[in-house]
Amino acid sequence: MPQFDHHPPRWALWFLQLYCKPRVREIIEGDAYELFYKRVETDGLKVAKRKFGWDVLRFFRPKYIKGLEDINSLNNIAMFKNYFKISVRSLVRQKFFSIINISGLSLGLAACLLIMLYITNELSYDNFHKDVDRVYRIANNQSGQYTPARLGAQSKMDFPEIEEVVRLSGPYDQTFKVNNQIFKEQEGFSADSTFHKIFTVKFVEGNPDKALTEPNSIVLTEGLASKLFPKQEAYGQLVTVNGNSLKVTGVVADPPKNTHFHYNFIESFPHESWITVGNWTGNNFFTYAKLVAGATPESVEAKYPDFVAKYVGPDLVKYTGHTNYEEYLAEGGRQGTFTLKPMKDLHLYYPHMALGSQGNINNVYIFSAVAVFILLIASINFMNLSTARSAARSKEVGMRKVLGSRRNQLVYQFLVESMMISVLAMILSMGLASIVLGGFNELANRNFSYTDLLAPSTLLLLFSLVLVVGLLAGSYPAFYLSGFNPLRALKGENKAGGGNVFLRKGLVAFQFAISIFLIISTMIVFSQLRFMGQQKLGFQPEQIMVVKNTGLLREKLSAFKNQLLQKPNIESLTLTNQYVSSSIADWGYSTMEDNPRHFNLMNMFTTDDFLETMGLQLVEGRFYSNELASDSAVAVINESAKKELGFENVIGKKVSRGDGEDYTIIGVVKDFNYESLKRSIEPLILRRMFEDGRMEADWYGGNYLSLKVTGNFGETVKQVESEWNAMVQDEPFDFVFLDDSFNSLYEEERRFGKLFTVSSGLAIAIACLGLFALAAFTLERRRKEIAVRKVIGASVKSLTMLVVSDFTKLVAIGSLIAIPTGYWIMQDWLATFAYQININNPLLFLIPVILVTVIAWLTVGFQSVKTATSNPVKALRSE
Amino acid sequence: MQRINLGEFEELVLLIVAILNDNAYGISVMEEIEVQTERKINISAVHSALDRLESKGFLKSEVGGATNERGGRRKRFFTVTVAGNKALNFVREQRNRLHEQIPNIDFGLNQYASI
Repeated sequence: MPQFDHHPPRWALWFLQLYCKPRVREIIEGDAYELFYKRVETDGLKVAKRKFGWDVLRFFRPKYIKGLEDINSLNNIAMFKNYFKISVRSLVRQKFFSIINISGLSLGLAACLLIMLYITNELSYDNFHKDVDRVYRIANNQSGQYTPARLGAQSKMDFPEIEEVVRLSGPYDQTFKVNNQIFKEQEGFSADSTFHKIFTVKFVEGNPDKALTEPNSIVLTEGLASKLFPKQEAYGQLVTVNGNSLKVTGVVADPPKNTHFHYNFIESFPHESWITVGNWTGNNFFTYAKLVAGATPESVEAKYPDFVAKYVGPDLVKYTGHTNYEEYLAEGGRQGTFTLKPMKDLHLYYPHMALGSQGNINNVYIFSAVAVFILLIASINFMNLSTARSAARSKEVGMRKVLGSRRNQLVYQFLVESMMISVLAMILSMGLASIVLGGFNELANRNFSYTDLLAPSTLLLLFSLVLVVGLLAGSYPAFYLSGFNPLRALKGENKAGGGNVFLRKGLVAFQFAISIFLIISTMIVFSQLRFMGQQKLGFQPEQIMVVKNTGLLREKLSAFKNQLLQKPNIESLTLTNQYVSSSIADWGYSTMEDNPRHFNLMNMFTTDDFLETMGLQLVEGRFYSNELASDSAVAVINESAKKELGFENVIGKKVSRGDGEDYTIIGVVKDFNYESLKRSIEPLILRRMFEDGRMEADWYGGNYLSLKVTGNFGETVKQVESEWNAMVQDEPFDFVFLDDSFNSLYEEERRFGKLFTVSSGLAIAIACLGLFALAAFTLERRRKEIAVRKVIGASVKSLTMLVVSDFTKLVAIGSLIAIPTGYWIMQDWLATFAYQININNPLLFLIPVILVTVIAWLTVGFQSVKTATSNPVKALRSE
Repeated sequence: MQRINLGEFEELVLLIVAILNDNAYGISVMEEIEVQTERKINISAVHSALDRLESKGFLKSEVGGATNERGGRRKRFFTVTVAGNKALNFVREQRNRLHEQIPNIDFGLNQYASI
């Protein structure tokens, strides 16, 4: 077969046809063919084909590619080199402006970088779980976090949409005893054995399917395992908890930080009836469900009302005394249901359901707003300074135009310059951000490290931010400067900011507005915090010390109490099941009338010395006494509860828990704040606790011992601690003073206040930098004008006022924007508190305005005075 | 001094075109280079050099007739121009002049030559 009957690969010919200029294609093709036919002879068809393809690929050069004729390739790069050179020169020539520009921008960028870090972290919560989109938390009714024990299993049985369920309870603290060493550990949970099917956990040791099936099993995180069992394998070891031995059946990797559910250890549930069978009325568990792929939560939610009627209804009816569920509903009983909340929303949208993670979507919004504000101020500075400097560079622009620059080339030049400044600022901001990372962690209540700061995703975000800022801030000066008429620019007729004075002043006014707004917010947040701190609670919280975990004393309790009462510093003490300022649960009570009314009252068990210890006053009746045996079924309520119950004469009335559990009200205590001041005083019922901590039947709950102390607090704490250590071996001494405990309730608000302080400080600092530079520039422009005025006879004072009053007007305009906005937004914020300061206090708004005005005066005035006092001859002679 | 802008490979190609006289086109130049210098080169490199030399004015080209061994495509023949001849001569003279100035190397004994 002659070589000419073979054909080179078709794709190569097609590719050549695609890219090659027609003028040279024939010659290239000809040479390639000639080589091909020769190679078929010498090397064989296969090699020839391959080499033909390679030749064609090698011809893929700019010279032969279609459509590239018009590109004057090298010129652009040369121009960009020139732009860089000019940018560097102009930056170096105007050091003062450059430093202010770059430092202002880098401050803003650093703030943004940290806030971006925070926001991306907030939004990443729980995303690491496999199939997180299908995992839901079942809420009792709309948002109740606790659900009945039987809910999960029954739901899985009845609804095909549900693939798997798990129940959790916790978080609790646990004291472990390992080899006679005591460890007090937090963030413990109990869970069903299906735990790992819902949550993504990496088992280092142990079988995920079997780890939690047996009672008395415990799964430790790697961190805790190495703490309890240093230098040995934890798997298979025993730990002692309250006298029980738990077997370590698994060791899992520490959960990531960005989860709503952070645990140190997971225990299995005991095989007892309250777990394995459970009931429908006690809400004790968190229930999570994983739906099958494609199922919607709405379809499950739609089935729950009937589900409740079928399973929960009979129990409810028994409790309320109705004949059936329909009658219960007809008489105003609430129809119960369950709803599904996406697990990845728990952290931000349902923080009260998140197990310990403190997220808040509002914080994300507030932080974002602050970032935007600060960046805006920094960008405005940037724009203002660049345009203000335009006069100095108008000759350069004119010259370039005369030499043939097109307008878009000039635009490029200025954009390159602004990008250069932004990139410089970016590098600086990275340094700044890493310096203040610790402070930021405190502010955001997170734990970021330098590696988070340098993560590629963060850097990418920062870089895109820098691109946007550089383009945005650079675009106005670029388009403005490039629009100069070359002839007028060269003659020096372009007055600095002829047409853009209005815009520039508007931007400065806007900066003032942001600063004033932030200071107003700061003032209001702190006044509110101080107000809450000074609010009378109705007792003396700083005198009351609460000793925790007294339930563990058991039979030694009375001995412990007696020992303490002998101390001269301890006046009295009371045993309770919860302590004031901690989370107190509400219990349902009904009145004993023909038409019983149902109330939810905050319920607390106390011994009879509660009033005396807390220093509370009785308004009506008497308090229960442990001396009187007849006082077993009595209760004392607060004034709010009296109002709620609505009886004219409440003493002697009875309230019922159902099933014959009736309590006679024997006294009314004056209202006192036993919760955060965000909430008004809610109805409270106090029930009698026996001296040994017994609440009902054989249910013990005397977990907290409140002591009224006087004298030296530090000494008293030491005394109590030594008593505790003498009686309890396995539990460390734990206590809190009530004023600290109350203060910790406002942690979030305090952080909020700090955030505003920092951001308003930053905003003012950046704005001042800009103002300073702008004033310097303005004065430079008006130097001759001022000199002439001075020669004609103007005084230094009037000259200074001339400049300062210009800027004062801008502050006035800014405050006109800021005051209503601040009023409106902070009123919204205050609405979350039951006890609020009076926002109509004009001082709250006047002080920030005055502060900003004074700062502006100082910034501008210093330079004005300098210019006004200088010798006018110098300014006038310079031409 | 007059400057002739001629790279090493360009000079080689120019010489080969001169040697081949009336039969210089892409393949023949490539093959001649391979024969003369035992250098393996790709056809595209030859084309590129020929194009450059033409744009510098050292070569001129015309299109010849179609032949079967090229699948019916025409050849582009190159010939050396006057400028090309001058350039070759210039380079050659310059080389010769330089070669002649090399002193008799006496390795190791002449201390100045070893630098």
